[in-house]
Amino acid sequence: MEIIIYGIVNSLTLILMSIGFALAYGVSRIPNFAHGALFILTGYLTWLLRFRMDMPYGLAILLSLIIVAIIGVALYQIILIRVRGMPISEIIASFGVGLAILEFLRWSGLKGTAHMLPPFMSGSMLIFDVPLDYQRIIVVLGGVSVLLFLWFFTTYTKPGLSLKAIAQNERAGLVLGIDSDIAATLAVAIGAVFAGIAAIILLPLGNIVVEMGYEVLVFAIAVSVCGGLGSWKGAVIASFLIGFAQTITVSLVAPHYHFVTALFIIIMVLIFKPSGLFGRQKELEERV
Amino acid sequence: MFFMTIQVYRIKPEIFILFRYGTLIARYIKKRKGCVSAVRKRMWFMGICVFLLLPLLFMWGCGGGKKEVAGPGGDPIGDPIIIGSALPVAFSYGWVGERGIRLAVEEINAAGGVNVGGVMRPFKVEVIDTRDLEAGVPVSEALLAVEKLILEKKAHFLVGGPARTEALLPTLDLVNKHEIIHISSTGSFSPRSNQMVKDDYEKYKFHFKTTCWTFTMLGDFYGVLDSLKEEHGFNKIAVMVQDVAHARQAGEIVSKRMAEKGWDVMDPIIYPTGTLDYSDGLLRARKFGAQVLFVWMDMPESVIMMRQYRDMQIPAIPIGFINAAEHPDFWNATEGKGEYTLNHLVNSGNAPAVVTPLTMPFVEAYKARWGVEPEGYGASSSYQAIYTLKDAIERAGTIETYAVLAALEATDMEGVYGRVRFDPETHLVMHSLDPAEGAVPQIIQWLDGKRETVFPPSIATKQLQLPPWMN
Repeated sequence: MEIIIYGIVNSLTLILMSIGFALAYGVSRIPNFAHGALFILTGYLTWLLRFRMDMPYGLAILLSLIIVAIIGVALYQIILIRVRGMPISEIIASFGVGLAILEFLRWSGLKGTAHMLPPFMSGSMLIFDVPLDYQRIIVVLGGVSVLLFLWFFTTYTKPGLSLKAIAQNERAGLVLGIDSDIAATLAVAIGAVFAGIAAIILLPLGNIVVEMGYEVLVFAIAVSVCGGLGSWKGAVIASFLIGFAQTITVSLVAPHYHFVTALFIIIMVLIFKPSGLFGRQKELEERV
Repeated sequence: MFFMTIQVYRIKPEIFILFRYGTLIARYIKKRKGCVSAVRKRMWFMGICVFLLLPLLFMWGCGGGKKEVAGPGGDPIGDPIIIGSALPVAFSYGWVGERGIRLAVEEINAAGGVNVGGVMRPFKVEVIDTRDLEAGVPVSEALLAVEKLILEKKAHFLVGGPARTEALLPTLDLVNKHEIIHISSTGSFSPRSNQMVKDDYEKYKFHFKTTCWTFTMLGDFYGVLDSLKEEHGFNKIAVMVQDVAHARQAGEIVSKRMAEKGWDVMDPIIYPTGTLDYSDGLLRARKFGAQVLFVWMDMPESVIMMRQYRDMQIPAIPIGFINAAEHPDFWNATEGKGEYTLNHLVNSGNAPAVVTPLTMPFVEAYKARWGVEPEGYGASSSYQAIYTLKDAIERAGTIETYAVLAALEATDMEGVYGRVRFDPETHLVMHSLDPAEGAVPQIIQWLDGKRETVFPPSIATKQLQLPPWMN
């Protein structure tokens, strides 16, 4: 039972970490390597607004998410738009921005254990005799809510359908009057907001440290590659696959192999499905 | 370009960055004028505001990353004596060490400086960030920092790091090459550097250490664990350590030693750096019936473990070397859930304690200067290193390396953490549980938001307490 409960928590944690990255890539085909930095930036901004400027927690969260969304827009409009279509340049540019953000945060005082966001609820409860703290329950609820929102947004709203159209066939989308640059800007901004939401939900479990930005990026890439780059459904399935594999490894083997498990799963998936679980990059080669 | 401009025109870096942002964005808007829609104009305006205001927010909110150091209050004459400090300043061992060093230097300079053969000379500190505790940063980076301090900054003495043992050991060869005194005052717990002094004195004699070894700390832990067994009948221990060399070794040694002492020891659990969930290990410890959790971790994520420990109400007392639990902000970081945690601070004086008449004045001065109590490992030992160096220079009457080396070897003074003497063979500061005999360790327990000293008995302020859910 412990494995099932903590496996679900771990999987939803991975979904929260990676869904923004997967969405941005799915629509704009731009790998936003500043994803981890935006995660930490949201957490730190919220901390600054809440504890340095004494804002109400809700308002601090809202403002941080707005600022991060604007940064996402600026990131695409100022930097990424110029290198669009050049994958290596896109990776270098976005990773460079992420690195600059993280090092700037470190320089401006984000070090040590003093920076933490308050949990939404303190305490714990027993689920089938397994203790689970409330904040981890919120992680599960938050993860499910994000998925439901994403499904609703891409199925029933006009901007969401535009994003879907561009992701499926950019030229056909252009013919139908959808501006691919605006769609990509929107996707990067929503991806940044999802990174921010993940930070707001996950960071109260521990503290805000720069190093976690790199960790989030690694997991986001791992999940996206495993699920198939560009497929957010693949990212969800991959999160559950990696999440449960990690939990089983930690319980039955040793926590020491926690990170290795994620990499092992990626290698295995890529050997048998080079495009990832739901990816289409190498569809033809796979058929041949 | 950036550095050249701020150096040539002596502009504050933050002002330069804001000016540069402004001009670049203005130039870009001008270029695009006429083809930008009203919606985009508004979007650009918001973007500009965010980019201009964000740095201001950070600078205002955090008070900037660098603190200006007040100038000397006295009127020292003579050229400054340059102290080079190679430290990982983004990590607590680094910045706490730097604060200890700067505080001592400011006090000494305010009091007139160092009496070098009748000439009062001030200390001057040059710090270079080694980043040696960051994952993926090669050791060579730290060595470059050390060499830069010696060759470019013309340091007369090296005090502080590197903090990582892998970087410290090759530093000894650099120190030998340039014949410069090096006092290691933070980081590395390995006995290896002092063993090198013992094994090849001629080559490595320039190295001294004002902190201690893992073995010394483990000896202190055995003292606490023995008393827990005697007083409460505890005999089951779970060992949880981080996946780094010093922690794994400490875990292995403790497991072996406690088994020899008749304790039931759970298989050690090794967590990779950055672990965000410790529930499995804690549940295993509970099933095992452990009464003691021995934890050795220097990652900030250990805060998560202490929160989960409290949320799950694990009926065991946590004890160990937990970097996060050293700091005064640990209480807030865990929302008080870190209560009852026992933590080794390595040297006394890294939290308030009455060890010698010098300890509390140091604690008060640190608090007055940095706005916080000494934050943990590296504070008292770095502060003490500067005073020990001053004492040696004044006795030698010169800053000539060999004369100061001989004076350091003959050191016998009262320090903030007890009597300061160096082992003649290893150049490690001598340790004792008695302040009159040597440098005293300090184990604290978090009780009601305070770091209360519970070990050694000579400086204890409170009796060790068990969590109420263990009764």
